[in-house]
Amino acid sequence: MKRPVVSAPLLCLLPALALVPVLIVVGEGLHGGGFETWWRFLQGAVQPSKDPLLLKSLWEGLQVTLATALVGWGLSTLIGLLLGVFSSDVLWESAKIPTWPAAAIRSLLALPRAIHELLWGLLLLQVLGLHPWVAVAAITIPYSALVARVFRDQIDSIDRRRLTAVLQSGASAPAAFVSSIGPPLQPILLSYGGYRLECALRSATLLGVFGLGGIGTELQLTLQSLRFAEFWSGLWLLILLSVLLEQGLTFWRHRQQTNPSQWNGVSVLTMTVLAVLVGGHWLQQLLPTSGTTLQLMLPPLPDISALQLAATELPWLRMIEQTMRLTLLAAAIAIALPPLCLLIFPGRIAKQVFLGLWTLQRVLPPPLTLLMLLLANLPSLALAALALGLQNAGVMGRLLVEGLDQQSPGTMKAIEVTAAGPRQAWLLGCLSPQSRSYLAYGAYRTDVILRETLVVGLVGGTGLGWMLIESLSSFHWAAVLLIIVCFALLTLAGESISDGLRQRWLRTPGESAST
Amino acid sequence: MSAREHRAVVCLALLCSLSTTALPSWAAETLRIGAIPDQNPEKLNRLYGLLAQELSQKLQVPVRYVPVSNYPAAVSAFRTGGLDVVWFGGLTGVQARLQTPGATVLAQRDIDAKFRSVFIANTQSGLQSISSLEGLQTLKGKRFTFGSESSTSGRLMPQHFLQQGGVTPNQFAGGRPGFSGSHDATIALVQSGSYEAGALNEQVWTSALKSGAADPNKVTVIWRTPTYVDYHWVARPVLDKRFGSGFTTKLQKAILGIKPTTANGKTILSLFAAEEFIPASASQYAPIETVGRQLGKIR
Repeated sequence: MKRPVVSAPLLCLLPALALVPVLIVVGEGLHGGGFETWWRFLQGAVQPSKDPLLLKSLWEGLQVTLATALVGWGLSTLIGLLLGVFSSDVLWESAKIPTWPAAAIRSLLALPRAIHELLWGLLLLQVLGLHPWVAVAAITIPYSALVARVFRDQIDSIDRRRLTAVLQSGASAPAAFVSSIGPPLQPILLSYGGYRLECALRSATLLGVFGLGGIGTELQLTLQSLRFAEFWSGLWLLILLSVLLEQGLTFWRHRQQTNPSQWNGVSVLTMTVLAVLVGGHWLQQLLPTSGTTLQLMLPPLPDISALQLAATELPWLRMIEQTMRLTLLAAAIAIALPPLCLLIFPGRIAKQVFLGLWTLQRVLPPPLTLLMLLLANLPSLALAALALGLQNAGVMGRLLVEGLDQQSPGTMKAIEVTAAGPRQAWLLGCLSPQSRSYLAYGAYRTDVILRETLVVGLVGGTGLGWMLIESLSSFHWAAVLLIIVCFALLTLAGESISDGLRQRWLRTPGESAST
Repeated sequence: MSAREHRAVVCLALLCSLSTTALPSWAAETLRIGAIPDQNPEKLNRLYGLLAQELSQKLQVPVRYVPVSNYPAAVSAFRTGGLDVVWFGGLTGVQARLQTPGATVLAQRDIDAKFRSVFIANTQSGLQSISSLEGLQTLKGKRFTFGSESSTSGRLMPQHFLQQGGVTPNQFAGGRPGFSGSHDATIALVQSGSYEAGALNEQVWTSALKSGAADPNKVTVIWRTPTYVDYHWVARPVLDKRFGSGFTTKLQKAILGIKPTTANGKTILSLFAAEEFIPASASQYAPIETVGRQLGKIR
């Protein structure tokens, strides 16, 4: 007997079921008490503060954030590319060496990847002190491992016949490797490289929210003291920068795709090197006295008995259960919301409105979203999930629209002439061909969300994330260490599950999927 | 390779060699002051900009204000040398001094020796004024929020008094208290009704009432805590070595010497909500350390 199979476009919308409990909790908790504050918040958007002293410090903060993002992005792309090459089986095979070093590198890279950049930031802050390069390192370490994994997967999935042919023609192993692997790698270098830069900007902002400097710090302080006019001055600046960056990258990607040349890959690498150099100088200029304090200052390490004590004290089951619930709810919201929005409100104007809204959702760090939601709602885990889900929905939404825009409108037109309604035509003609790659990306996003639960634990007072922040603020190193290990294990487990799902969705015959 | 490509490669090589200049450059010894982030940034920038200017004039060294947006970051920055002199809260100051042996307490405000927290409640929550520690039991089962998790007046001392009154954090609605992140956010969240009650710094509450940020029809004080000692200036031990012997004493004198008689001094003191700075000693903060250890915030 054949098992019933849920078709892909429905799978995209299925997570919307999670919206039901979230909306019930949020709807029940909604109250009018915060609307006055919300009104002041919206007024702030229209009338941001123009205080020169504030603008000056915001401008400096923005530059610090951008410079941090640039250096972090450049370094991680370069390091990630190298690590990706060295962790690929193809490289070692082409040189006729056993492939175990590749596997070793891959398993070593699992750890830096499993820890969120914010956690790296908070830990490095303890070891290295308050230094602008701490934020850079916090981005570079996990990003390098992530980039390495993506490139390794790409390299090992490239057809090897070309490499074998070049090798057999007598070329040396390195030359053969570069000439046969390089060209197919270029498109992914372009699209993924650009995407990582946007991520780096978001990460640099988030690191600021947790005290590592830049515009995030200013946003956090202004929102926490409810200075909405001042908050919006910073937010508008950040939105402007994000939009410029995203548009610039899209334009650049588009140009490279329409005039492909063998120099595309080189131009990306040139950009990364430039980003590191220019960003590095810029940081040095912005924070000149920072050069003196970079030194290793380890906090006292806990001994075995302290670890044992902490292990018995911590409420593991509750923390893990809350973290998982938070992840699943937030992931469902992030995956379901964009197609649902487009389905309910079809049309070009609605799409532009959503794109604008999603930009705002992406730019606003989740802890800040959560504080705003909390003003008009009773505190609950669902609310924290909503805050986290909204930012990721912003990312997913943009990706979905990009995918939809790239496909030809033929199928949708064909279904439309069969007198189906516009929504049905959209669902079957437009969303259906995209849904597999969208879901595959959603599986990857769920991974990211699990790592990010750290970020909303604070305001929600829930899960591993909250306990980690509480332990860090008590300088309780034994607990910090244990929670990090637990977090890393959870992330790695989640990663292997989402990998399996992703491969299942991408492997269906007859449907090509974009990355 | 075409001439254009050739030039591009040369340019890239030149740019790569630039990286050697990106190594850390050593600037003149600068005194870095910081503060725990419990004010809005506009005020912090104005306050510490002015203070840096004043101290730089008196001490004849460059002084720079380094903004920090989270409490443990300030403690770590002080331990690792990123900050030389910090305006700490009671708990963070004790944490910082325990982690940095030899650090000295320089001064406190006149109001810090007898500081208080207030417990506030939404007027629709039905919570009545409390007259004794036992009265805190009425908060059981209510939605309750603290401020920042490391705040002395927004978390540590309120939790301590709650414990004395027989209330533990897991007895609040939902099995846990909230952590709004700041005193201002606590007022807003209780005023809106998201939380029925909360605890915060009395000085912030008084100024919120004055400025109109707190609406007495919606949120009201139900209890004032007994007094305890709070904020203080703490300096790193190595300052004398870096800036010359006797520098720490000079710095202390400079802070204590800020008087409302000068224009700068008047503005600084009013931004600090103080009449003057007074000498303080480490022993005053021993009770804070005891409470910190009891509640697990000091290990």
